[in-house]
Amino acid sequence: MNRRTPASTAAKAIGVVMLLSLSLFPFYWMLTTAVDTSPLSRGASLLPSGFTLEHFRYVLVDAGFLNYVRVSVIVALGTVLLSAIVALLAAVAVARFRFRLRTQVLIMVLMVQMVPLEALVIPLFLQARNLNMLNSLLGLILVYLGFSLAFAIWNLRGFVAAVPQELEEAAYMDGATWWRMFRSILLPLVAPGLVATSVFSFITAWNEFIFALTFMQDSSKYTVGVGLRTFFTQNAADWGSVMAASTIITLPVVIFFVLVQRNLAQGMTAGAVKG
Amino acid sequence: MSPTPTLQERRGDGAAALTRRTVPLGRRLRRGAAPWLLLSPGLLVLGMLLLWPMMRVLNLSLQDYELRNLLRGDTNYVGLDNYVQVLADPFLWTTVLPNTVGFALVCVVLTMIVGTCVALFLNSLGSTWRSLCTTAIMVAWAVPALTGTYIFVWLFDPLSGLVASTLDNLGVMEAGSYNWFTNRWTFYGIATLNVVYHGFPFIAVTMLAGLATVPKEHYEAAAMDGATAWGRFWNVTVPTLRPIIAVCVILSTIWDFKVFVQIYLMPGGDGSTPEVMNLGVWSYTQSFAQGEYGLGSTIAVLLTALLLVISVIYIRTLMKEEEL
Repeated sequence: MNRRTPASTAAKAIGVVMLLSLSLFPFYWMLTTAVDTSPLSRGASLLPSGFTLEHFRYVLVDAGFLNYVRVSVIVALGTVLLSAIVALLAAVAVARFRFRLRTQVLIMVLMVQMVPLEALVIPLFLQARNLNMLNSLLGLILVYLGFSLAFAIWNLRGFVAAVPQELEEAAYMDGATWWRMFRSILLPLVAPGLVATSVFSFITAWNEFIFALTFMQDSSKYTVGVGLRTFFTQNAADWGSVMAASTIITLPVVIFFVLVQRNLAQGMTAGAVKG
Repeated sequence: MSPTPTLQERRGDGAAALTRRTVPLGRRLRRGAAPWLLLSPGLLVLGMLLLWPMMRVLNLSLQDYELRNLLRGDTNYVGLDNYVQVLADPFLWTTVLPNTVGFALVCVVLTMIVGTCVALFLNSLGSTWRSLCTTAIMVAWAVPALTGTYIFVWLFDPLSGLVASTLDNLGVMEAGSYNWFTNRWTFYGIATLNVVYHGFPFIAVTMLAGLATVPKEHYEAAAMDGATAWGRFWNVTVPTLRPIIAVCVILSTIWDFKVFVQIYLMPGGDGSTPEVMNLGVWSYTQSFAQGEYGLGSTIAVLLTALLLVISVIYIRTLMKEEEL
């Protein structure tokens, strides 16, 4: 299995280079277009034709993209806060208590993740319209809470279940109540999972497009995803600006995601293999 | 996970302590109430934002519901007329369904092949290179579908994109002479590239985690018996990872069936080029561009039914593998 011939080493090196360059290429192309002095005449050259931050300046200052960023940040943070609280309570219930209908609840949580957003957008749009919640940040936060919750419960369940029961038992031995045990034992130990889950809720809200497009019709309430469309005109696109705005949307997600990848893998295996 | 009776007892006591102040009922009832108290906010949210709207969309699919019904707030039931109209529409059978199902199948197969190959490759690397490569594919995974789609649209821009320029330099075709986004096959070719690029990292990372659980002795035994690398893959790796592969296949299928953003944001994908529509886009444009909320709901219900069948398979596969 572990033959270390020069040929296999070379093949692996080529594989690594190919994997790295193909995985990162679209990201690289976005970054370099965003700082290119003349992106439309760049053609097939791998290096940008010059370096400029003009596209970023135009996007953030002249085109008012900063306002879209503000809206998206508020919506995403609201979603994270609500979904962390609600999901943690639910995760403790399904991971630490045996009760009737427990399996059915878990199945329902799994099933609702399959519901396509395209099916929900019609009734929720009509409902939001009736409640005057179109163009409302709170309306969007509530909708995203619904979408991020099922995954958050499912993911946190694994982290809660991974906390050894002996630790809880020890706390009870010392005379702790359930609530005291929850605060002093369970919460600190589940914290990494809570961070990973929150990052996911953030990304869900930050990346969402269909509902933001349908609900936010007032351009002062556009999220980043909907705001990005303002750089397209009828037949042409200002690719320098589009890629600069795309970079602003993509960078926080990529940074968050790579930072929590260890937690993520842990939560996924815990959720997948352990009961 | 089978807790001892004493543990169960203790947990019950703790649960009772939580609810003692709020629900002064019998001890038995208090013990049973704690999980439901913890679950109630979550169930309320899921019920109001997911289950109830699903009922509503089912109800709307039986109505000829347009903007004026919305303004007047009345109902307009027409029975199964919408379903008859959609199912009798040749557009569904020649364009929308093939676009949805064919595209999903191709994407799932390609994503699984690429993801598995990358996982096997990563598994053969030393830990430093493996974590470097894992981080790189994490970046591919993290790029949002929204901006990822725009990057691919820009790469394939008919006039000044990378691909057109490269082909122009090679003398294959003149830049700007052909618009890939107006042809159904090239449109979906680009969409497939986009979806597979975005989807393979999940498969690779999950399969890599699975590969770590295959006992080394099994490979050694197979090698002793003279199995080739290919034979070891099919006879040792695949059977051991069967549950993980099943989950990966079904999850990818569900994701690829409801692809919306990656199609809608491509030039012509928002309904202006009818021949590239899939079920999701068709439902959305019927509702929000044509104002036919009833007809749009019917299409959405059909898409959901399709996904439900796949979901049932998903749940059954999971249920066999673990006690929930």
